[in-house]
Amino acid sequence: MDQVWSWVSLGPLKLPLSKHLLMMGIASLIMLIGFPLLIRSRSAALAPFRAMLEMTVLFLRDEIVIPNLGHKGAAYVGYFSTLFFFILILNLIGLVPYGATATGNLAVTGGLAFTSFALINFSGIKEQGLIGYISHLVPKGVPVWLYPLMFPIELMGMVIKTFALCIRLFANMIAGHIVILVFISFIFIFGSFGVSIGLGVAPVSVGLVLFTLLLELLVAFLQAYVFVTLTAIFTGAAMHPH
Amino acid sequence: MEALIKPEFGLMFWTITCFVLLALLLSRTAWKPLMQAVEERERALKHDRNTAESARAEAEKIKVELEARLAELKAEIGRRMDEARLMAEKEQDVLIEEARKSAGVIVESARREIEAQKLEAARDLKNKVAELSVLAAERILLHQLDHRANTDLASRYLAEIEKERPELKLESR
Repeated sequence: MDQVWSWVSLGPLKLPLSKHLLMMGIASLIMLIGFPLLIRSRSAALAPFRAMLEMTVLFLRDEIVIPNLGHKGAAYVGYFSTLFFFILILNLIGLVPYGATATGNLAVTGGLAFTSFALINFSGIKEQGLIGYISHLVPKGVPVWLYPLMFPIELMGMVIKTFALCIRLFANMIAGHIVILVFISFIFIFGSFGVSIGLGVAPVSVGLVLFTLLLELLVAFLQAYVFVTLTAIFTGAAMHPH
Repeated sequence: MEALIKPEFGLMFWTITCFVLLALLLSRTAWKPLMQAVEERERALKHDRNTAESARAEAEKIKVELEARLAELKAEIGRRMDEARLMAEKEQDVLIEEARKSAGVIVESARREIEAQKLEAARDLKNKVAELSVLAAERILLHQLDHRANTDLASRYLAEIEKERPELKLESR
């Protein structure tokens, strides 16, 4: 749940200054200042981190972007790397004490999904031209009389695909938190029956919370990967309709 | 619970702004140098591999060449050895023949020499024997010569001869 501290008006928009915005700011600062410094640094102590960053970017390039987007995809590697690390860092900040999971907010995931939607359509139009892109929305081999039906379905499908992206990330990130919350609540629920029962349940609950936290750590990486992979697949499908 | 699934559009705006700015800035400041470094390294690796491959090909070529030359040399050595052996055999034969011939000559001359020596020795011996026998006979004869007995003997012989061959009788003449 977001924690709004104050509101700022910018024309017709009413913009919140909230904890999730702060988290996004921290993530942005880490990436804007940390990454360029890390990449340019020649110190031996930072070499493993540099190698990790490089390996991740190369993995994104060689396993996700190039296979899906083809050789023209090299230009999009930067975008996908930014997307991956942004989501990953937001997910990980959510696991740090006093941090909040910005990706557990529907507005944030919605914003990310919107940028993906924009990227998919932009790359499709850039690759095939506006008319070509629209005419290729319906797959080849569909009878002509089905076009009036298929065209709206495909348009809707495009929106739904990105909407699913948004919901998937949101649900995955919030689910772990809810489970942890439930396990901790158990202590107090059982505690209301009697202090000794509550203390008895506590170790079990804490163990399960730890387990869930580790699971969330896995999910943090996994969902960043899934979001990027699916965006790449959709972008590739928009660029090469066959 | 409703707040959980109700998107706050202001935050969505922030997210989009934030992310787009981040993507634009990072592609300049982070990914570009990173990709450049990576590509440079990949190019260096490729170049190294190409160099190594060409060096290996070169080495293989040289090896084949060397092997061919080695085989050639071996054949040459074998040929030379055979030639030398043949020549040596011929020379040996010639030498043996010559030795035999000269040995024959030596033997022949030795035999001739021996023959000559032998003849000379025989001649010497004969002369010496003749001389000795003559001397011995002389001594014997000198020793045994008895005038009276001999005269008797001679007269007896003469009588006998006269008896046998009367035509030779001295008195009848």
